[in-house]
Amino acid sequence: MPTLIRLFPLLLILAACSDDTPSQQLAAEPAPDAVTATAPATNPEFNAQRNAYFGDLHVHTMYSFDAFIFGTTASPDDAYEFAKGGSITHPAGFEMKLDVPLDFYAVTDHAFYLGMLREMADPATEISRHEVAEGIATLGDAADRGTKFRRILAFLRSGRAGEISDPEIMKTAWDDIVAAANRHNDPGNFTAFIAYEYTSSTDESGNLHRNVIFRDDIAPALPFSRLDSQNPEGLWQWMDDNRAAGIESLSIPHNSNGSNGSMFMLTDWSGRPLDSAYASQRMRNEPLVEITQVKGTSDTHPALSPNDEWADFEIMPFRVATRLPSKVEGSYVREAYLNGLKMQAEQGFNPYQFGVIGSSDTHNATSAGDEDDYWSKVGLMDADGIRRGSVPLPQPRANGELYADTYYNTWGASGLAGVWAEENTRAAIYDAFRRKETFGTSGPRMKVRFFAGHDLPQLDDSDMLANAYAGGVAMGSDLIGDASQQPSFIAWVAKDPNGPPLQRVQIIKGWVEAGEAMEQVFDVACSDGGVVDPVSNRCPDNGARVNLEDCSISADLGASELKASWQDPNYDAAQHAFYYVRAIANPTCRWSTWDAIRAGVAPRADLAATIQERVWSSPIWISPSQ
Amino acid sequence: MRHLLRQPLLWFVVIGILLFGADSFFSVDRSEIYVTVAMQERLGTLWQTQTGQVASAAELDSLVNNWVREEVLYQEALRLGLDQEDSIIRRRLVQKLGFIAESDPTTAPETATLQAYFQSNIEAYTLPLRYSFRQLYFQSIDDAQRALQQIGEGADASRLGETSMLNAAYAYRSGLDLNASFGAGFADRLSGLDPGEWQGPVRSGFGQHLVLLTAIHPAEIAPFASVQTRVALDYQQAQRENARAQYTDKLLDQYTITVEPR
Repeated sequence: MPTLIRLFPLLLILAACSDDTPSQQLAAEPAPDAVTATAPATNPEFNAQRNAYFGDLHVHTMYSFDAFIFGTTASPDDAYEFAKGGSITHPAGFEMKLDVPLDFYAVTDHAFYLGMLREMADPATEISRHEVAEGIATLGDAADRGTKFRRILAFLRSGRAGEISDPEIMKTAWDDIVAAANRHNDPGNFTAFIAYEYTSSTDESGNLHRNVIFRDDIAPALPFSRLDSQNPEGLWQWMDDNRAAGIESLSIPHNSNGSNGSMFMLTDWSGRPLDSAYASQRMRNEPLVEITQVKGTSDTHPALSPNDEWADFEIMPFRVATRLPSKVEGSYVREAYLNGLKMQAEQGFNPYQFGVIGSSDTHNATSAGDEDDYWSKVGLMDADGIRRGSVPLPQPRANGELYADTYYNTWGASGLAGVWAEENTRAAIYDAFRRKETFGTSGPRMKVRFFAGHDLPQLDDSDMLANAYAGGVAMGSDLIGDASQQPSFIAWVAKDPNGPPLQRVQIIKGWVEAGEAMEQVFDVACSDGGVVDPVSNRCPDNGARVNLEDCSISADLGASELKASWQDPNYDAAQHAFYYVRAIANPTCRWSTWDAIRAGVAPRADLAATIQERVWSSPIWISPSQ
Repeated sequence: MRHLLRQPLLWFVVIGILLFGADSFFSVDRSEIYVTVAMQERLGTLWQTQTGQVASAAELDSLVNNWVREEVLYQEALRLGLDQEDSIIRRRLVQKLGFIAESDPTTAPETATLQAYFQSNIEAYTLPLRYSFRQLYFQSIDDAQRALQQIGEGADASRLGETSMLNAAYAYRSGLDLNASFGAGFADRLSGLDPGEWQGPVRSGFGQHLVLLTAIHPAEIAPFASVQTRVALDYQQAQRENARAQYTDKLLDQYTITVEPR
């Protein structure tokens, strides 16, 4: 003990020196092409026409308050090892491993109460004696964990949330998160981003969650959390300040579907109409949105897009972590694009000109798994078919219901983030985020290329990609219209070599006409020799079906690749418009059907038995010619 | 006696005793808290980060005052030993000391050092078996077979095949890479082919391929120059881990450790 006391002044001085500078635990990155420039590379080389890289930008570990309650013990280190091809044991005992490792990964633990539940579970800590920590050291079955999870959430929303927030605990966890990302980042082979989740919500439980991704190996001393401000504008201000101090980051909203209309509002936090200052600050900090994840897909909703036959896809109808219905208006990506376009046309600014990615939001430190090997995302809470409502309970509930009383049946095995980048480094992938040359998938590693321009090459051009980049713009970009000529588009999609075949490629258009925002879905390429009907703009049914006895799919139907050179039959050079690609795979069994078949029971009648996996590109925006 | 009174040492002792007595009579023992300019600047910077405003002189005075009031509480907490039983503080301090122990050296490691590290960890820099090949893609097996026949009759292979997102040629790809790019099992199917002539069709996750295997590269040690950057990162990481372990070992030497028998 005397030794420790003598050591203290030294520790305090050193601590004081190290705390006011950003965490910087690893030497600067090496020149990105140092490894790949020489001959026996093991990975795709630097490619000026860009390679597709796949990753997950939404991963929780034991440091997240809820993941800890759900039984997750995997650390950030374990999470990055998993992404590189390692395995993690699920709290329920089974192994989780990827068939193909990922190219990039970001651990995004909740900033508020970061690392604190672990400390509450340790009876030797002061915080374990706080009333809200009661029983955290003795987490029991799923019901017990659910009760304690809801108690922490209620405390968080009670106005007393700051009472137990301990910066020392959070700093310990944050330093470990930063160090793990820097340690696992391997330029040329694997990219690990320093990141976290800003977990805010409105007072009505409207979800405002965002993941903050840092470009480099430095990060602020502590992340900005909902305890600093519930208002996302506060987060953006903090990011602007960091940027001025040399720390670059971007923020990616997710689960707009569960935001109760508050993710893509037409007013700011204080209720004022949006203006150009709001739009530029939001776009400076939020170039991307997570369009799909385990808790549902946020492309559009059948109520918003009644003429889109594929709109009813993995709809999660609740406000996040509640059973309250989430208001549809203001909660979906396509509607936000339309509202943004309208503001652009009428007022000259657009706060919703973002690109898209998918990610999982796993709380198991792993991704979501596949439809046929689904891990869902909340540890012991949804570890098997019975608990996630796809397989009947051993005994019906008192009210006669056969299935567990849960909303996990509205969740799905989604999603992935895709980028087009020259090489697998933090700088190249982060630049792709900034360019919005990104796409999201519902899980499979489908690739989509999308170009627009006035001088695009033919599809069979031997140097098609180079000429497309030279003669047009890629997804995520703006194109200025030309009154004298129509722009053309190239949409090109490849299936996942280990996933289902493609059925059709679509271009989704939004535009403003006579003050009204309009949308239309055009099929542009069909599998199996189908030809788009010029009136309905639809491919014929390719007849692909699923055998629900064993989940086998129609052999020899669907395509490995589909591509189209397309012009908008209704193009008007005087209008503002956006276009994005959605490609649809042949139907396959949904995870809930796999669960039922394996349990030897019939698939649950009120759930979709099959799904059509899909990929969404970021849009290209075309502005009027003058 | 006069001689004795002229001894400076005696006066020193006597005056010392008097002063010590007076001090303990008139006052308590005061510890010093000295707030350096650097610390005041740090408080000002923190304020600016949080509020976006430069702290005024009055605000800075108030910040310093708050810090001092907090510091006396902190010192008292230490004096009472409140840090001793708290595992959060214990973990935090251990982590901080860990970062100090493994702090990066300021100079970059010499190439010779890296080469030595490379040699002694050679298995980490051994590349797996890899393939270099050209490929032609076909949706149908019939088209692939027809093209193979045409090649056999002297047709130019580079004019055959369907366009796809796949490359026409791949160099130095491991089995893992190929299974990621072409689908599971593709690398196994390649391993059965002979280099030097167009063969196939080989099935992938996309369809059928004719493959001209140009080389199978056996597992080999990567040339040092090609992995030097990675070696440097690995070396630094190993250094950090070593430094931490050695630091802990050195501290352990200063203790006698007894684990009470259970």
